[in-house]
Amino acid sequence: MAIPADSLGTLAEPPQRSVRHAGIDRLFHWFTALTVLTLMATGLLPHLGMPFDWIEVHWIAGLALVALTVFHILRALFWQHFRTIWFGAAERNKYSVAQKLMHHAMALMVLAAVCTGLLMLKKISTPFLARDPYFLAMSTWGIVYVIHGLAALAAVTLVIIHIYFALIPENRRYLRAMVYGWMTRS
Amino acid sequence: MDIFRMGHDIWGRPVLEGVSWDLIAVAAAVGAIVIIAHALYRLLRGKPQGE
Repeated sequence: MAIPADSLGTLAEPPQRSVRHAGIDRLFHWFTALTVLTLMATGLLPHLGMPFDWIEVHWIAGLALVALTVFHILRALFWQHFRTIWFGAAERNKYSVAQKLMHHAMALMVLAAVCTGLLMLKKISTPFLARDPYFLAMSTWGIVYVIHGLAALAAVTLVIIHIYFALIPENRRYLRAMVYGWMTRS
Repeated sequence: MDIFRMGHDIWGRPVLEGVSWDLIAVAAAVGAIVIIAHALYRLLRGKPQGE
């Protein structure tokens, strides 16, 4: 039986690439990376002997992270398969256990940082919010600062680990997928 | 090394001001330890093939 030439072509060269991350998710990832690195630089460098006028850049980048977090939660809930990032059934194997653990650790760190950061906006003057340092009791502010600081420290550890595992040769296809969107099936 | 930064209120009572900034180095060291541990693990079990 004759087989059409274009069918032969399809059989001989099956598609080798599959889309792993849509363009909007890659944009989200890289904007979040830029924002988190900006927040870490502005939040930590002044405490490492490099004083500069950091507060304005820090709260603006913080609000950008809030917006990115809200976007990511809504997109995960309504436009993506939310369960793929959780542990369990076989259809949820888009991400490895290590990748899921990293995601959850990052999510916890970001949520702690943005929630406490939003409260801390009351301590400074911004165009849209009146400063009120007595909004919370001093002891409560202390707890807010501790949680925000722990999130910053966790960010240092997690970003170091994340960049290392993104760069090792066996994970290069995941890095390429986060840049170009696709990865090979093999 | 302190874990927390402490200050005092107007009555001289101690108040919590946040985590100690000395812990930044500890956080970076934890990241470095994970990298070294994983690199040693890769070395001992044989480096897997990249692409």
